[in-house]
Amino acid sequence: MSTTRRRAGLAVRLLPALLLTGLALVGPWITPHAVDAPVTAPYGEAGAGGTLLGGDQLGRDVLSRLLAGGRDLVLSSLLVALLVTGTAAVLGAIGAVRPLVGRVVERIADVLMLLPAVLGILLVTLSWPGGGRLAVIAAAVVLGVPYAVRLAAGAAAPIAGAGYVEAAAAGGERLWYLVVREILPNLRAVLLALFGLRFVAAVYLVATAGFLQVGPQPPAADWALMIRENSSGILLNPWSVVAPGIAIGLLALSVNLAAATLAPQTGRKAVTVL
Amino acid sequence: MAGPLTSPTTAPTASPLSPGKRSARVFARAGVLLLKWASLLALLLALVFLTVELLPGDAATATSERGESAADLAARRELLGLDRPVLERFLDWMTGLPTGDLGTSARGEQVTDLLSSAFPNTLLLGAIALLLTAVLSLALGCWAALRPGGRLDRTVSGAATAVLALPEFVVAVALVLVLSLWTGWLPAVTLTDADGSPASWDMLVLPALALTVPQTGWNTRIVRAALADEARTPHVESAVLDGLPPHRVLTHHVLPGALPAVAAGLATSTGMLLGGAVVVETIFNYPGIGSVLASAVADRDSPVIAGVTALSGAVITVVLLLADLVRDVVTGGRR
Repeated sequence: MSTTRRRAGLAVRLLPALLLTGLALVGPWITPHAVDAPVTAPYGEAGAGGTLLGGDQLGRDVLSRLLAGGRDLVLSSLLVALLVTGTAAVLGAIGAVRPLVGRVVERIADVLMLLPAVLGILLVTLSWPGGGRLAVIAAAVVLGVPYAVRLAAGAAAPIAGAGYVEAAAAGGERLWYLVVREILPNLRAVLLALFGLRFVAAVYLVATAGFLQVGPQPPAADWALMIRENSSGILLNPWSVVAPGIAIGLLALSVNLAAATLAPQTGRKAVTVL
Repeated sequence: MAGPLTSPTTAPTASPLSPGKRSARVFARAGVLLLKWASLLALLLALVFLTVELLPGDAATATSERGESAADLAARRELLGLDRPVLERFLDWMTGLPTGDLGTSARGEQVTDLLSSAFPNTLLLGAIALLLTAVLSLALGCWAALRPGGRLDRTVSGAATAVLALPEFVVAVALVLVLSLWTGWLPAVTLTDADGSPASWDMLVLPALALTVPQTGWNTRIVRAALADEARTPHVESAVLDGLPPHRVLTHHVLPGALPAVAAGLATSTGMLLGGAVVVETIFNYPGIGSVLASAVADRDSPVIAGVTALSGAVITVVLLLADLVRDVVTGGRR
């Protein structure tokens, strides 16, 4: 396959995720109606009162809330993915140079295997009632880092063993120099793929937290919260539940597709990277 | 979602041993594994206690009503035992767990009583979903593996990748809409008997399916990858060169070696299934830990979630231990 064709294929697979996250980010500015005031009857059907997708449980415009309800989810997930990838990259690189750190992180990852992420999020948000969105983000980062460090450390180990890093270490270079100047620049491809995977995981966790009502609180417009709030009216105005459901589903699918594209293809084994 | 598939234990290097010696070895090995997982579980429980303890806010303030005086608050702290020293409460919590005492909720009820009828229901749902996941992912993975790289292989792998990232509540809403509200085939809401269990079997179908779909996507990829790895080993190549039919090579030569990886993958799904069950149960009004946790969320009741986390941690520990034992039994004799 020629380089241009491969580039085009890459762009096609990344495009849905970029378009959808872009739309979610600008959505709050292009809503046709107010997101917090009723414009039609509760669960008004599509078309009533000039609404394209009908009304929600208070008669607020579903389309406007749909446009407004994705930004926080996308921003939170991006932030979680960035923090997890950054922390994991540094810890993984340190672990490759200092084996003790690597072993400690490995044990913590073993322990966290026993803690379902959804329960972990609930544990943190309920123990920290004033935490709000910060609690969700903090919990998602803490739960994600150990797995990500395993990956980063695995990729950093061969680099740490390479001649030039050992030469620099023998030459008396400090730890941070080895990590930041010698190892991390060589992990770019792995870290990009890791970022994609952590974004997928973060969308799942942040959306689930929203659905369990420990993330954004009413009357905030949020896709996951819309599904929870409007589920009793699913027969009266299906769009009030289906539209945010499709939005979250498409976001998860497109981001997952993009992440799979970014993941290094090293044969069938690559599947275990997820 | 992304769970690690690696298990830190390695297969024992078994040389030809007499049966007696071998079983002694297996027992010693099982003892080591048991010790390892028990200590990891103890670490998790300590971590859970620390999380509840160190984050700002406690069970007494979380349930306080507006305008409540500081004296009332102190009285409830005393009632809930929160005024005792941290170390004493930690030891109480850790020593109470093995006896089935999961602590006291912010409302003063025993967490064990809250969960006694709910947790078995969740376990039933999770077990059905795990069984479905195992059957479906093995079938799909093996089916795809018969023609590596063919159209079917690519379709199955693509579909598996597509669904594995879907949140369970999105799958559940789609299933309810199609299989219940539009076609009327299955009930959308779980009704309960007098004893608190689901009234009929068909009420379990939709919740179990909602849990199964993402996990099947995840495990199909693991099965497919494990089969591909095993297919490259010399004994499989020689079986192919001997001219055995593909399905026989698959069932007799590829699958046995791939089983430990498949078991490890399914074991890590247990945590995802228990977490997902909390979400799915609230949609279907299923009488499990999901509904207990829904009211805990409304009350910001941290002792309840700590108890649920401890209990599910114990279940996951048992399943991971079993997966490790499967690995030992399968690889122990041969390698």
